[in-house]
Amino acid sequence: MKYTKLLLVLVASLFLFTACSKDKEQPKADGPSDEELEILNEKDMPIVNEEVDLEFFAGQAPATNPDWNDVLIFNTYEDMTNMNIKWKMVPHDSIAEQRNLALGSGSLPDAFHSAQIGVSDLAKYGEQGVFVPLNDLIDKYAPNFKKILDENPVIKKAITMPDGNIYSFPLISDPEFASHRIQARPFINKKWLDELGMDMPKTTDEFYQYLTAVKEELGEVPFGGPYIDTLTEYLLGSFGLATKGGSNLYLDEDPETGDIRFYPTSDGYKELIEYVHKLYSEGLIEKNIFSIDHHQFITNLGDGKYGSVVWFAPEEVASKENGKDFVGMPTLEGPHGDKTLNKIGDPVMSPGAFVITSNNEYPAATVRWIDYFYGEEGMKLFFMGVEDETYTVADDGTLQFMDHITNSKDGLTFEEEAAKYLTFPGGGFPSMVKEGLFQGVASAPQSLEAADLLKPDMIPDDEIWPSLTYTKEENDKLQGFGKDIEKYVAEMTDKFISGAEPLSKWDTYVKEIENMGLDKYLEIKETALERQLK
Amino acid sequence: MASKNSASQALPNGKPKTSLKKHFAANWQVYALLMPALIYFFIFNYIPMYGIQIAFKDFIANLGFWGSPWVGFEHFERFFNSYYFVRLLKNTLLLSLYMLILFPLPIIFALSLHELSYGKFKKWAQTLTYAPHFISVVVVVGMIVAFLDPITGLINHVIEFFGGTSKNFLTDPDWFRHIFVWSGQWQSLGWGTIIYLAALAGVNPELIEAAKVDGATRMQRILHINIPAIMPTIVILFILNMGSFMQIGFEKVLLLQNNLNSETSDVIATFVYQTGILEGQYSFSTAVGLFESVINIIVLVSANYLARRVSNNSLW
Repeated sequence: MKYTKLLLVLVASLFLFTACSKDKEQPKADGPSDEELEILNEKDMPIVNEEVDLEFFAGQAPATNPDWNDVLIFNTYEDMTNMNIKWKMVPHDSIAEQRNLALGSGSLPDAFHSAQIGVSDLAKYGEQGVFVPLNDLIDKYAPNFKKILDENPVIKKAITMPDGNIYSFPLISDPEFASHRIQARPFINKKWLDELGMDMPKTTDEFYQYLTAVKEELGEVPFGGPYIDTLTEYLLGSFGLATKGGSNLYLDEDPETGDIRFYPTSDGYKELIEYVHKLYSEGLIEKNIFSIDHHQFITNLGDGKYGSVVWFAPEEVASKENGKDFVGMPTLEGPHGDKTLNKIGDPVMSPGAFVITSNNEYPAATVRWIDYFYGEEGMKLFFMGVEDETYTVADDGTLQFMDHITNSKDGLTFEEEAAKYLTFPGGGFPSMVKEGLFQGVASAPQSLEAADLLKPDMIPDDEIWPSLTYTKEENDKLQGFGKDIEKYVAEMTDKFISGAEPLSKWDTYVKEIENMGLDKYLEIKETALERQLK
Repeated sequence: MASKNSASQALPNGKPKTSLKKHFAANWQVYALLMPALIYFFIFNYIPMYGIQIAFKDFIANLGFWGSPWVGFEHFERFFNSYYFVRLLKNTLLLSLYMLILFPLPIIFALSLHELSYGKFKKWAQTLTYAPHFISVVVVVGMIVAFLDPITGLINHVIEFFGGTSKNFLTDPDWFRHIFVWSGQWQSLGWGTIIYLAALAGVNPELIEAAKVDGATRMQRILHINIPAIMPTIVILFILNMGSFMQIGFEKVLLLQNNLNSETSDVIATFVYQTGILEGQYSFSTAVGLFESVINIIVLVSANYLARRVSNNSLW
């Protein structure tokens, strides 16, 4: 007994000891300090007169340069600005994990760059003071970004949190640059289409006929993908769903009543699922689509094994040789004459592409650092690199990558070669993607041609709802039963499509969602929507 | 040294203070040897426990563990009321039970290995069965996916060769448990025999000889000599197994999981990973993890109690 007591006392004292030593207060930086203002230049380069060191968390997409500490554009920018950035590279697969660990442990970097921070995290950590509110800093130190916000109120709405603050610099797609906003798009194997003597499908029925012909007459795989979702998203508009764009998962406006609607319980969604289920059950979709390895899919695409895909330009992402057989496919007309491409979101592609943390001692300088990439000159550096090292200016003023990048001597694709000098491949970066400057996959000829086909049917910008932001209270509720509902829909959608659940169970499925609290769910969404559209 | 003095002698004397001192003075070398292990457990297993409090708090990163506001049992309530609670609990329990049922396999395997008289084959068989233990989980799952793929997988080619139709095992919820448990057995069977083989090596050969002389068959010798001899080892390992009853390594489940098999593959461990690490709901996932640990302790204590009552062997 004595021993136990002794041990208990010892444990207790150790608890207290560690508790006291670990609870250090985070330094709170709301605005620039006097020391910072002393060395800061409000205009022109360098940004600071004395060298400063900062540590940035860098989300590393698979396609980008693996080490930003030594890459042409940031080396150049470092010399211009006097700001030395130590990049902590975090591979794509573990971004969410590493980001949350950094946020949870309190050992914060000075800023998160390309870290895919979602709106709920922005609202949450903004409110908690982990992220620095940027409204005043943007007014003072970010002329380029401020100009974009003033010109596009929808962008400002999408990144303003319920408390009225802006905490992030987003990845924006120039509203005019359709090819970039569409993301994954439909491609069809033109060689096979000709071989079969068929016309380009215009309706969902014709698409079905093409897929059947590929299977029956050619004995090939009619449709492949890394997962089924790109196909269902592309078809949303053909079945009258997602009438307010793709920024908000499963939400749109009921075209008949004008009310907010959770469309996975609508009849249109049922028809869409029935259609895709028909394709899957008849073997028109690759059988292992629900469990295929991503690399396996890319290899198959590069080998020209598919009759159609909804993905990025095959010529660019898979193989130049077999990829060129693919051409874009227009938006398909559905059974009730619906024909719009509705999966398009607001121009904010990724709301939290860059945030500054309370750890940062130079917030104003950091805002100036990032604002450069929203201006003409900075975008040129970010997307094209350095003149005469990576690009040249033609007589008519257009910028062109130099030959050693477009025609790699090692047989690399454009992205792979560009990633040696630049960091934009892979996406998610804080900047604005503009046609003419951005030369990624979205501006490749194959992508542009496919986008041109889809453009006429794209949902107009004034119809698109910005992605919703929630207060902490709303968010707490949504993370409980809201997440359950969304998970249930995602699971059941796959089950209905694969046939694991028969479609005769549809009514049970709808009932189940209603029982899970759909009314409350929609109520929260509606409140958030009204606040945001104000 | 132990004969000089010991705690059991000192305590009943009614003078614990002096005898405690004496006890330490006499045995300090032993305690010194014990210290590194104690310190290790303290630093890595006990100190982190103060973080458990966030299960009852609304954890806010920059307020720290102690500064975050208390919310009581809110997170537990949310978990118990969650739509997926029953499914998570059921899947976790069933998967654990399935693995537990296969507990005798390494014992049977060890007994048969022990009976092998041809030394070279025994060594060869042992090495062969140990080998998979050293393969990492990611690679094992890669192999499973490659073998079971409905289009390119070896298993489905064999099925088709014999006239069957290929089947997508990876997306079938009925197959998930079998795939998970048996691939785990394949990996750990050989490794699991090591302790039993060591125990079997300690069986007195004279007993076996005597039994042989008395005309006992091989089966009888195993049943009445070998098994009783390793019974204490079996019981202890069984209790230890129960201690990690609900702890299914989440990596492998996560890697094998998809929307179609989550009916059976959604377990508490993967749920904690998804809500805690991926969605950053630390307090909630700590509460869920704590719930899992409490069940574990209950199972462990009852297994220990039962073992003590039935076989007189127990951990404590």
